[in-house]
Amino acid sequence: MAEKTRQRPPGVCIPWEEKRKELPTQITREDLIKAIWEKNDALAYVYIWHCLLSF
Amino acid sequence: MANEMEKLYQARLARYTTAMRNEKPDMVPIRPFVAEFTAKYAGYTCQEVTHDYEKAFDAACKCAAAFDWDAVVGNMVYVWTGLTQAIGLKYYAVPGVDISPDTGFQYREPPPDRAFMRADEYDALIEDPTGFLLNVWLPRVSTDVVPIGAPATLRNNLSFLKGGMAMLNYFFGFGGQNQRLRTECGTVSAIAGILKAPMDILADKLRGYLGLINDLMEQPEKVLAACEALMPHLTWVALSGADPAKEVPITIWMHRGCVPFVSREHFDRIYWPTLKPIIEEIWSKGHQVLFYAEGSWDAHLGAFAELPEKSIIYHVDRGDIFNAHKALGGKFCLSGGIPNAMLAYNSPNEVRACVKKVIEGVARDGGYIMDASAIVQDDARVENMRAMTEAAREYGQY
Repeated sequence: MAEKTRQRPPGVCIPWEEKRKELPTQITREDLIKAIWEKNDALAYVYIWHCLLSF
Repeated sequence: MANEMEKLYQARLARYTTAMRNEKPDMVPIRPFVAEFTAKYAGYTCQEVTHDYEKAFDAACKCAAAFDWDAVVGNMVYVWTGLTQAIGLKYYAVPGVDISPDTGFQYREPPPDRAFMRADEYDALIEDPTGFLLNVWLPRVSTDVVPIGAPATLRNNLSFLKGGMAMLNYFFGFGGQNQRLRTECGTVSAIAGILKAPMDILADKLRGYLGLINDLMEQPEKVLAACEALMPHLTWVALSGADPAKEVPITIWMHRGCVPFVSREHFDRIYWPTLKPIIEEIWSKGHQVLFYAEGSWDAHLGAFAELPEKSIIYHVDRGDIFNAHKALGGKFCLSGGIPNAMLAYNSPNEVRACVKKVIEGVARDGGYIMDASAIVQDDARVENMRAMTEAAREYGQY
């Protein structure tokens, strides 16, 4: 299925790449920081799409 | 006792999943989508089960314990108005507030001139569906959320705080509810995950049905592009709520994408090409989809037959279940077919006769699940639900 979403892919409200620019160049365990950012960001995505679909 | 209940649960799960894969279980499974009926049976008002989901969970369990049903939904009174009130959503008529406490909640679609998305906003939706929902749609559907650029307010901030916490609370509550159904009633939680067709959700919550119809005539390419833009998001949300064990299906609630709500041309050109790939994608990941075909979708059975074998369960509401069986029965399990009006107004003997006729007509080789035609509200008579259940057991043995 072709991805039609230009700015925000499914599951994302604020992409990690955008957030990363706000952080220092050198950070420890960037993979951990990124994973938790994306996990919490997906909750916000679930919130708005369930407002549309479920409630 | 606990062991006996688990044995009952496992037998029902096997019966339910075998039928959904269009095979023949030991008997016809029973899976009524009981909503406000549970309140009636358990002694609650519609207001209580709609606004207090713990009461709704309790009512569902009381019904599951009392009736020999294989699977139910943990709470089919799916809109918890405590949550919608926390967010400030303005499109529901809430029992006890806007309507009688004895009436189920209602969706109030705004007139075209007050649609939640305007006719000239397709490009914004297409460009960034999530951003459009957050920045444009939500401030319009909520009394509390302010538009981008407006001064922040306490009510705006609390809408997200209370709404987010309440939604998590509600969704996590289903884990305990499903376990309660299993351990107290031996009953399977029937579904997991939600899907809507792109064109349906465009009509339901964005443009409204009348707005969509105008757009289909005046800017059909924009409608198509918007549906395509929604596809990956609707797929993602559906899969995010799916059953990890891949035993019970994701449900698609099908609304007004069929003839005569739209023309066959619009179904063939827009509705189906933007839904079919979603179903195929979901199936490729091992999940079935329950087509909850509200209304009559008889004009489109040929299209549904294009889907991979066993990928869907086709639920018949006002369509002809015998025709659906001819068109789809070789590939997919069917469910439904007992008219809700009959459950409300006819006699138990008439219900029994209808159950017998449906089972004899469509369930001979398995691949059928007994259910009412549509979600069962508080107009269904208890004795008729009992008759449907008993007749399904009497005539549904293999």
